[in-house]
Amino acid sequence: MASDPVDVLIVGAGASGAAIAWSLLETRMRILCLEQGDHLQDSDFPSRRDDYELARYAEFSCDPNVRKLSQDYPINSEGSCITPVNWNGVGGSTINFLGHWPRMKPSDFRTRSLDGVGEDWPLDYHALAPFYDMNDANTGVSGLGGNPAYPDYTPPLPPIPIGKLGQTLAMGFNRLGWHWWPSDVAILSQDHDGRQRCVNAGTCDLGCAAGAKGGTNFTYWPVLENAGVELRTNARVREILVDRNTGLAKGVLYHGSDGQVHEQMAEMVVMACNGVGTPRMLLHSTSRLFPDGLANSSGLVGKNLMFHPLTGISGVFDEPMKGHEGPMACSILSQEFYESDPSRGFVRGYGLHSGRSTTPMTYALGGFGIDDPIPWGAEHREIMDNVYPYLAGLTVVTEDLPEEHNCVTLDPELTDGDGIPAPRISYCLSENTRAMLKHGEERAKEALLAAGARRILPNDSDKVWRRAGWHQMGTCRMGNDPKNSVVDGWGRSHDVKNLFIVDGSIFVTSGAVNPTATIQALALYIGDRIKTNIGSLFD
Amino acid sequence: MADFPMSPKERHLLDSILDQLIPGSCERNIPGAGEIGVADYLAHVAARRSRFDAALRRLLARASELTDGIDSDAIRRLEQSMPIEFAELLTESYKGYYSRPDMRAKVGVGAHPAHPSGYEVAQESAEFMGSLIEPVRARGPFYRDPSIAGGG
Repeated sequence: MASDPVDVLIVGAGASGAAIAWSLLETRMRILCLEQGDHLQDSDFPSRRDDYELARYAEFSCDPNVRKLSQDYPINSEGSCITPVNWNGVGGSTINFLGHWPRMKPSDFRTRSLDGVGEDWPLDYHALAPFYDMNDANTGVSGLGGNPAYPDYTPPLPPIPIGKLGQTLAMGFNRLGWHWWPSDVAILSQDHDGRQRCVNAGTCDLGCAAGAKGGTNFTYWPVLENAGVELRTNARVREILVDRNTGLAKGVLYHGSDGQVHEQMAEMVVMACNGVGTPRMLLHSTSRLFPDGLANSSGLVGKNLMFHPLTGISGVFDEPMKGHEGPMACSILSQEFYESDPSRGFVRGYGLHSGRSTTPMTYALGGFGIDDPIPWGAEHREIMDNVYPYLAGLTVVTEDLPEEHNCVTLDPELTDGDGIPAPRISYCLSENTRAMLKHGEERAKEALLAAGARRILPNDSDKVWRRAGWHQMGTCRMGNDPKNSVVDGWGRSHDVKNLFIVDGSIFVTSGAVNPTATIQALALYIGDRIKTNIGSLFD
Repeated sequence: MADFPMSPKERHLLDSILDQLIPGSCERNIPGAGEIGVADYLAHVAARRSRFDAALRRLLARASELTDGIDSDAIRRLEQSMPIEFAELLTESYKGYYSRPDMRAKVGVGAHPAHPSGYEVAQESAEFMGSLIEPVRARGPFYRDPSIAGGG
């Protein structure tokens, strides 16, 4: 079945799909977004239930292989030490992300020039800065201006409380003379734009029922739908169609909520399915013109997969830290070790993020993203009574460098519910990352002790958090050279002139910060370039 | 039909195991997992997951052979002899125990659902925050910017 053609067809209603739709609104083009999941109703948020923690291990797990909802696709990550996590539905992974919102830094866009690794981006921080600002205003970002680790900017809303835990750690960093700053967060510190401020529930991963967290289900989509953007849910794209004469994308085939396969024609196709979903779809869209997958003349679709490998260090303090009170991931962030320093034995760097602690069930089961229950018996009682309430921790978030062997391919056997091949992840840690994690662990211990921790909990340094593949980047990277990149400096495929990619797959390098602020700023930047070049868009 | 039919003897056995896994604390007035009926939660899970049902049956059968009674040594032997089944039991027991609001409150976390009440966390005053960040501000710009001469 075929529907009326549209001007712009966006695949995916998450962070980037919503942002570019907003950017293109003023063109008055007919915009359609296909989303494989659905809207979440208020009653669907588990944080309103007494047993809310159970949802983290079932229908609201961040891991699609655990959730197994009808809109999810399985991911074969047996060949990876980190498994990708996500949410499929309106809002995408901004439904269950933690709202931590640091920007990338100027050096992140020039790693080849500065440090001889990765590649330089085809744009720089300053080109993106106005779009960071624009997106912060649309999202409702809270933070404190004047962070000396960045060129000057000021978030639109005042910071959220850093709380006892943040204050304690900040004093530790001050004693060491190290950088720290209250984190920028996509979480409202005050009522804003019809949304309620954060109530410090501490369950951001279970969706923010209050709308305080800047998921695009609360920020962009209400505006977009009111303005006439069509959002077609339960619509899973199967393949991107190509005109065999022109080589241009002409639309998609998708499985609709009626169980039928539909054809949707479009003048322009925009992929916004994240760093795993987008290469999966391109690799599955083969044709006589593109036998190795769409937009893949470079052979780089799916290659250079980057995550942010994480490890955590916890200290036990003398007073309760109330770590479950407040947004989960964000209190303060130290970037003391972010920039390269050859004396450390690795290139690039990492951040030390003060996570708050988690809820009792998740702690007992090993922590957020980890399946390794704490001991049973008398030791269990001791830990839950005398350790858990007194914990504060630091998460080491490392920059991941692009390596071609880390990649997304199509699984030859595993499929989703519609028979579309599942993505298969091949990924391992580099020696550079291992050295960075080790260095970060030692510095985190120093910071916790300086903050007053009476002891540091042992940590298995050979392990990174497995269920921590939130940040999926690099698998369709940007660049000026078609032989060495998939899209150009404004997200347009080198091979297919009316195919754009706007999600994290176009990152050239990963930085060592949560990527959503940059993903959305890039989507707005690309939207701006499309508008600027509208007269010669497909030349 | 009951979720997971158990004889009184089996139920007593499971409660004893649970009290070993998550023991109570008289001093802090915290009951153990068997005492508060986590077995009911496990039965509920077993009725919905055949794999767990089978694991629980095998564990109970083995535990019933432990003639010296259920103490920590017996549980350790159970863990060593049936590690996969034991791991499943432990995970589900923790879920059953800590999904109860009253048990959550015993370790200092609100018994209420996270939303809409949340928690009151005081906003730091501008003066306090200003003094806390003063040493950081005092260092001045702290990043490399290759677009600025000498900034790389």
